[in-house]
Amino acid sequence: MKFLILVMLLCYSFAFSSGDTTIHTNNWAVLVCTSRFWFNYRHMANTLSLYRTVKRLGIPDERIILMLADDMACNARNEYPAQVFNNENHKLNLYGDNVEVDYRGYEVTVENFLRVLTGRHENAVPRSKRLLSDEGSHILLYMTGHGGDEFLKFQDAEELQSHDLADAVKQMKEKRRFKELMIMVDTCQAATLFNQLQSPGVLAIGSSLKGENSYSHHLDSDVGVSVVDRFTYYTLAFFERLNIYDNASLNSLFRSYDPKLLMSTAYYRTDLYQPHLAEVPVTNFFGSVMETIHTDSVYKAFSSKTSNNKINSEMPVNQLSEHDELQKANIPNDELKTEKQKCPYTQMRVDLHEKLEKFENVDTVVNLGIAVMVFVVMISSSLL
Amino acid sequence: MATEKRDKEEEEVKTDDGSLKIKPRPIVQLGIFLVAHSPVFSVVFSAAGVLALLILPLLAKNTYISENALMPGSARSMLSNRDVSDGSKLVKDIKNYRLNHEGQVQKLIGKYMSEMGAEVYYQKFHPEGNQFHPLHFFSGPDSYTLLDNVSCASYGVNVAGIIRAPRGDGKESIVLVTPYDFINGGDYEALSLGITGTLFSLLARVTWLSKDIIWLVADSRYGDYRPVAAWLTEYHSPSFKDSDLLKCGELNTADKFRRAGTMAAALVLKVDGRSERFEDTLSIYAEASNGQMPNLDLINVVNYLAVHRQGFYVKVEKVVSLLSSSWLKIIGEIFEAVGKLAHTLNPDWNFGIPTADYLEGSATLASSLYSQALGIPTGPHGAFRDYQVDAITLKVSPRFPPDSKTRQHDFFLRGAKLLEGTIRSVNNLLEKFHQSFFLYLLTSPSKFISVGVYMIAFALLVASLPMVAASLYIDGCKALNNSTLNPAGNFKSWKWLDAAKQVFALHLFGLIVTLLPYFICQVPGQHSPSNRSIMWGTTSSSLLLITFATIPGCSPFSSRRHGTNWAVLKSVTISAAFIGLCLMSIINFATAEIGALLLVPTCLIVQPIKPALRSRRIKSLLGAFCSMVLLTIGFPVMLFAISKGLFGEGLVGLSLGGEFWTWLESLWAWKSATYLYIGMVHLPCWLLCLCILFHPS
Repeated sequence: MKFLILVMLLCYSFAFSSGDTTIHTNNWAVLVCTSRFWFNYRHMANTLSLYRTVKRLGIPDERIILMLADDMACNARNEYPAQVFNNENHKLNLYGDNVEVDYRGYEVTVENFLRVLTGRHENAVPRSKRLLSDEGSHILLYMTGHGGDEFLKFQDAEELQSHDLADAVKQMKEKRRFKELMIMVDTCQAATLFNQLQSPGVLAIGSSLKGENSYSHHLDSDVGVSVVDRFTYYTLAFFERLNIYDNASLNSLFRSYDPKLLMSTAYYRTDLYQPHLAEVPVTNFFGSVMETIHTDSVYKAFSSKTSNNKINSEMPVNQLSEHDELQKANIPNDELKTEKQKCPYTQMRVDLHEKLEKFENVDTVVNLGIAVMVFVVMISSSLL
Repeated sequence: MATEKRDKEEEEVKTDDGSLKIKPRPIVQLGIFLVAHSPVFSVVFSAAGVLALLILPLLAKNTYISENALMPGSARSMLSNRDVSDGSKLVKDIKNYRLNHEGQVQKLIGKYMSEMGAEVYYQKFHPEGNQFHPLHFFSGPDSYTLLDNVSCASYGVNVAGIIRAPRGDGKESIVLVTPYDFINGGDYEALSLGITGTLFSLLARVTWLSKDIIWLVADSRYGDYRPVAAWLTEYHSPSFKDSDLLKCGELNTADKFRRAGTMAAALVLKVDGRSERFEDTLSIYAEASNGQMPNLDLINVVNYLAVHRQGFYVKVEKVVSLLSSSWLKIIGEIFEAVGKLAHTLNPDWNFGIPTADYLEGSATLASSLYSQALGIPTGPHGAFRDYQVDAITLKVSPRFPPDSKTRQHDFFLRGAKLLEGTIRSVNNLLEKFHQSFFLYLLTSPSKFISVGVYMIAFALLVASLPMVAASLYIDGCKALNNSTLNPAGNFKSWKWLDAAKQVFALHLFGLIVTLLPYFICQVPGQHSPSNRSIMWGTTSSSLLLITFATIPGCSPFSSRRHGTNWAVLKSVTISAAFIGLCLMSIINFATAEIGALLLVPTCLIVQPIKPALRSRRIKSLLGAFCSMVLLTIGFPVMLFAISKGLFGEGLVGLSLGGEFWTWLESLWAWKSATYLYIGMVHLPCWLLCLCILFHPS
């Protein structure tokens, strides 16, 4: 009996140790703006812009945990009540109808942030406020605010230290809450926040090195504040040219950061991350899983199979538009290909059906058939 | 504590062989060394103190916006021509109204405000000013008790309009004050109403307000300060009794006094006569009572916007006579040469500034020190400081004559843009001003000296006092031991008691002299200031004689037997001066600094004149002469006369006493701690020095 249990335990542990090989099944995003006060408008705009981007690229609202430490939209100082912009042209209101903020105002604390990551919630916390990821999840963790050497300020009152973050990530790994985790941080000295990380499967990118500041991109002189940070601005500029089906690689994203434009050096830490960056599409983190099994349905599903085979590892930003045109030019061809690429069994049946349709007088064919059969029966019986 | 004990034990062990003497700790050794060589060190420290004061303009730092939330100039101005024409119309209306009507202009302004959509109300106040009450020092703003026998003969009417922030919480406000004399106001004064009217027209329609805006048109018929103070008093301490004033005049002010939350900042705007420069000039006044300053950030914001956005020429007050003084010029040239030399030695040393800059800086610094030391607010903004509200007065001088219509439009636009920018900055604040300095001296509108730097000069000046006191005490004790065969050796440590008695008596005398004016004011009948000062002088001197007569040993003329040793007396005097100066430096630093400049050399140099004359040595004669000169200068009345001459106000020799009285009256009326300092620290110490000078040793 004991032996049996032992075997079962062994099997169990074996089954779980093979967790690393589980396939990527879903995407989550945790977007955090950690700073309060009107003059930190840009941090909220950063976060909301990224929220909009990941939503556009296919992560549904239910899989996005959005934490905003202050409400700039309804601040009395906001010249455009209930609107938030990330550009002085005011073309895009980031605070439209379908923004679901999960943690707002004073709820954005280090404690709540760590609870979200590690999943240790009070019972009363609704599911919509939990990060319900599993071992097949790719998680994007985006944070912005004011930081320093190995810390990130929350609410001007407390701080998240690099080892707190590393500890939380380690717990997540132990609890199989993610397959791959990408941490993107836009603060001053952001690179220092990753110093203590040691869990495998974590990819980290920060806006600046130790001793560097992260600067805002431009000032909106109507609102009277800076509206977006440089790092986030150029990240968004990269993603604005992509759609769900694009295959820009992480490498091309990382290479799109120009230290001269950023006025700081974007830093990425890849030593914990196994796959080659040139082979990982950005949509692995910023989009949602789109792997589907094709059936013949009335809906003309878009096939991305052909383009999925190759990942564009070298896609500098300036060539993006060209690439887009190519992509669009390819679309009609793709549809033609899909006509031909159907399963063999259905194909045979369709062919048969078509041939049958070609016959004009069915009755003569049947009569002839019967005559032939009678003839065959006679021959076979005479032979016997 | 444990280590300390161990150290002691070790030292004891070390010195055990032979003598029982315990080696003193290094700090004690240093103290003993300083006290032993006190004459040298006192001279060195005092000279260093004066030098540090002279060097201050070199150490001034550029101002910077410390509070992140302010973000001055980051928002585009939203003023339109429509707003300016609203403002111009208001000015024109006021002019016409005053030409044709006798009635109150306040109603016209009130109408303008309510047309803009503001809540308007009128407030009547009494013009009678501050009155001296000895117990009201430091007691904060008094609640002016309503007098029962109110006469309708003289009263002022303030108009105030409040724009509520459309989405604000109504708990904070920003105050704009334009003092305007509704009866005699000139054309220039009306321009300030035009600027604020322009701004008000804009603020009434903007969406970004988070704090309510209060525009107070103060009735400056009875001075600028009083109407603002009266309005603030009523704002902060509401009275629930109907004042008799309400019935006066045709203007009904029975409608409620309205409020709008705590004040984040206040700006007082005045338009002065024509600017003597090519640009429009903006003068900033910041000193409130007792040398209190508004937060430096407020000045920085205004200065930044005025210089970099609106192109005003910004200035702060300076002592003009210093600009042409030759000795300061020589000092400036020396500093410039030293700075250049240092720069050639090490290119990183860049502390040298041109002589002209040094002169400007010193003149501004002197004015800053003087205004703070005087303790009298330099404008209506002082009333706000009493309620811990940061406020400054902006005095604009346009470069055009007041009737020029074309220039007026541009002037209104720029003035209103400056105010709009400042208000938008303050509007961004989340907490009251706290980030930048409160203790500072200005050497130019964009340069300041922080408390950490200017304290050094004072610290060096007073550092010599305890040293010299200790050394004199030791000398005095030795002398006493030698001279007297008094067996009371047990009371060796009580030798200072006689001297202390004398010092205490004279300080008590100082206190009484300080309080005397209160009683003199109570004397019935009308007296001219000169008469009052004579009354004061005679009572004080007779009191002094009584003191000398009743307390034996107090007088310099008493017999030798009762007299204390002069060294011990001087030691105790110096200690008292030290304590007085240190206490004053906490209350009003500038007063203490100027006081120390006068009192420290006097206290250090003074010696009995008789032995010096007897010895006939040049050194001692020179010392006696110096102490005579210093004591003459140190007499408060003399000091007042000299400062008058220095500030170029001219001496009116005959009525000096009267002027001195008026000056003192203004000091106590403004509750300036300088008055207390003069009466309770400076005067007793000066008298004690006089006693030492004529000591019969």
